[in-house]
Amino acid sequence: MAPKKQKDATIKSRGNLVEDDNLDWLKPRTLLKPEDQEDVPEADLEEEVGRILTTINPQWVADQVAYHYGQGKFVVTPRPTFGKAYPLYIYQGTAIRKDSDEAKAQIAAGYGMVGFDDAGPKRAKVKKSAAEEEEEEEPEPEPAGGDETKAEEEQAAEEEKPEGEAEAPAEDQAPAEAAPAEGEAPAADEEEEGKEEGEGKKEDGAFLDEIIDIKPRIKKLANQFNFCERAALTYNYPRRSVDTQTVPPPRANFGATALQCIIFDYYQEDYARKMKEKEDERPKRLRKKKAKHVKTEQQIHDEKLAQRIREAWAILERLVNQNIYDDIAQDYRYWDDPSDEFREGMGSLLPLWKFQFEPMRCHAVCDVQWNPHYQDLFAVAYGSLDFTNQQKIGCLCLYSIKNPAYPEYSVITESPVICLDVYKEIPYLVCVGLYDGNVCVYNAQLSLESSYQYKSDSVRDKHCNIVWEIRWGPRLIDGEPSFFSISGDGRVVQWAVMPGELQATTIITLTSNVPPIPGPDGTMLTVNSCGSCVCFHPDKPEIFMVGTEDGMIHTCSLKYNRNYVRSMQGHHMPVYRINYNYFNNSIYASCSGDWRVKIWEDGRDEPLFMFELGSPVGDVKWAPYSSTVFAACTADGKVYVFDLNVDKYRPICVQAVVSKKTKKLTRVDFNVKLPVIVCGDTKGTCHVLKLSPNLRVMCKPPKKAQGIDQRTLQILKLDKLLSLVRDPPFQTGVVDEKFDDD
Amino acid sequence: MANEAEETVRKLSMHKGVAGVIVVNGEGIPIKTTLDNHVSVQYAGLMSSLVDKAKAVVRDLDPSNDLTFLRIRSKKSEVMVAPDKDFILIVVQNPVE
Repeated sequence: MAPKKQKDATIKSRGNLVEDDNLDWLKPRTLLKPEDQEDVPEADLEEEVGRILTTINPQWVADQVAYHYGQGKFVVTPRPTFGKAYPLYIYQGTAIRKDSDEAKAQIAAGYGMVGFDDAGPKRAKVKKSAAEEEEEEEPEPEPAGGDETKAEEEQAAEEEKPEGEAEAPAEDQAPAEAAPAEGEAPAADEEEEGKEEGEGKKEDGAFLDEIIDIKPRIKKLANQFNFCERAALTYNYPRRSVDTQTVPPPRANFGATALQCIIFDYYQEDYARKMKEKEDERPKRLRKKKAKHVKTEQQIHDEKLAQRIREAWAILERLVNQNIYDDIAQDYRYWDDPSDEFREGMGSLLPLWKFQFEPMRCHAVCDVQWNPHYQDLFAVAYGSLDFTNQQKIGCLCLYSIKNPAYPEYSVITESPVICLDVYKEIPYLVCVGLYDGNVCVYNAQLSLESSYQYKSDSVRDKHCNIVWEIRWGPRLIDGEPSFFSISGDGRVVQWAVMPGELQATTIITLTSNVPPIPGPDGTMLTVNSCGSCVCFHPDKPEIFMVGTEDGMIHTCSLKYNRNYVRSMQGHHMPVYRINYNYFNNSIYASCSGDWRVKIWEDGRDEPLFMFELGSPVGDVKWAPYSSTVFAACTADGKVYVFDLNVDKYRPICVQAVVSKKTKKLTRVDFNVKLPVIVCGDTKGTCHVLKLSPNLRVMCKPPKKAQGIDQRTLQILKLDKLLSLVRDPPFQTGVVDEKFDDD
Repeated sequence: MANEAEETVRKLSMHKGVAGVIVVNGEGIPIKTTLDNHVSVQYAGLMSSLVDKAKAVVRDLDPSNDLTFLRIRSKKSEVMVAPDKDFILIVVQNPVE
């Protein structure tokens, strides 16, 4: 360490001198001297005084002896390892000497190269080899010798030189005794070195090889002296700006209000979709069966839409009509003729709506009937009663009092419609009898295009004359609906509505008293009496009554197709209607072209009542609400309402509904639930009339028996009345007393 | 169907006091009308927004409820509207004296 430092110092001093030389141009060199400074001759100043710093303690006595009491003699005290210095603090470091075995082992194992050496010449050797390695790795500015051995020798020489210099003065100054001791170590070192060098020279190649061999395992210990920072600056690419403009994405403004109902709808939709997904998850073969019948979604949607539109139109039409006929609707519901209170036993009819169907202006209303199920609906048969100028076509219409302007349902028939009947069980099935002898069944639920559902065109034994009346009967044994028709050809036919066809069975052929008349070719022709009306017994389905054009009323049974159960001459002109009382099965009314209305009791040849109305009576009907009330309409345009309980001889209401000059009333019908009647005239108009309160008086229950229902009261009322008019008259008193007792 | 609609419109417009019948499609465009073009367009536009509002009122009070018909009574006339999600039917009627 010492020689190196010295060398460094010399170099430094030399550098300073040079520096000084370089600086003498700066300012003149004038040395400032104190006054009392001793004058020293130049020669003395020039003289060099060598001062050498040495590690050898000059105070140290070489051969110090001390008396040893144990041995009893003087012994030389051993030379202390660190001279006269006394350790004050000893710290056991982790550093180890480089030339120790342990260090060698470590170096050999590739641990750490020591950055600086403090171990003298021996270390230099090691360092040299390290330097060599470095030389190989990174060439240093130090001039490299021709070959490696030469460089090594030179280095060795250089290093030896200061050593020698350092030794010489040390030997000069140090006491003689110290010299050999001091010299021993370097000498020994040198000897070793020399040996080593020799070996090094000999085994140079091998040594290098060795180093190269272990080189990959060398790991530099990083400390402050052996610190290598490797930094690399990568190439910086020049910056460039490249701009491109894309087509801007389409923009749309969207605004919506989240109303509660919208949210609700979305939930409903979501639920429906989930249900559908669940449905889809089901096995396919289960679904296939269903899929066969399913229409396409579009079709379903279209149908629903059409239906919705139709309903909307219907309601709109009714709204419009409600506005137009508001006053009539009010009257219909709330207006009762106040004058009724002051005229005991007399009533009036309030005209309400008039129903007309434009194409049927010239037709006569041949039959009219309230629907048994819908109280505001009635069916109208348009035909013609002017037989010399018969119309070509007819029409079946269903009117609702909610829409007086147009029929709810209308269908044009090929022949005038003379009669109709609405099926009670299925209120949209209507059977009609036509002028040409056909009977048809119409289904009002089907749309207008598909006119009739059944027609007797192709049926054998169909009528060959006008069908005057048609009535639904009970279902057959097999469950098919059936209806009966009576025609001008003198036959009563039962029609069975089979799937897809009608089947005719002649029930009875009406015989007449007229003897067979000779035909043109000499054969005798039997003349049937022409049937004009038919009426079934309300309780006994096999019993029915037939009215004929010669005024006969025959009571027949389905079981006898030849004979009548009873037969009587009821009228002198065609019988237009026979109608059973709603409350008493044995009482019926009949009307005829001989201007008369007669009230009959079963089994009695003479009528109980007889009324002459002064004009052919088109229709007579019992009221459904009272046992003693009936209405009749006449050809002179009047409606007669009778209440036998009030007046046994005169009608309680006579009202001219149409002008008798131009029109005739043909048919009348009571509404089952509402206090209105409808009557048709020969000009295709139907008149709906409201019965005033006096025409619909109900029975008041006697004080003794408050709980009796209206029907029983009505029956009792009629019975009481009948007992008054029945023959023999003596019964009257008995029944009367009986009733009074109750 | 088209025939039927034609017939119905004709029938309705022949009623007493009916001033006009307008059929508006789902988009609010009048597709059939018995009134002038510009009046129909005005009715269609105004009514469809009114129907939307009225429907919102009814539906918001009870989401399971729905608007079925709308009658607007004014001094001069009455407007009857049948709203549906796919169409609106409008009938304008002048009251009967």
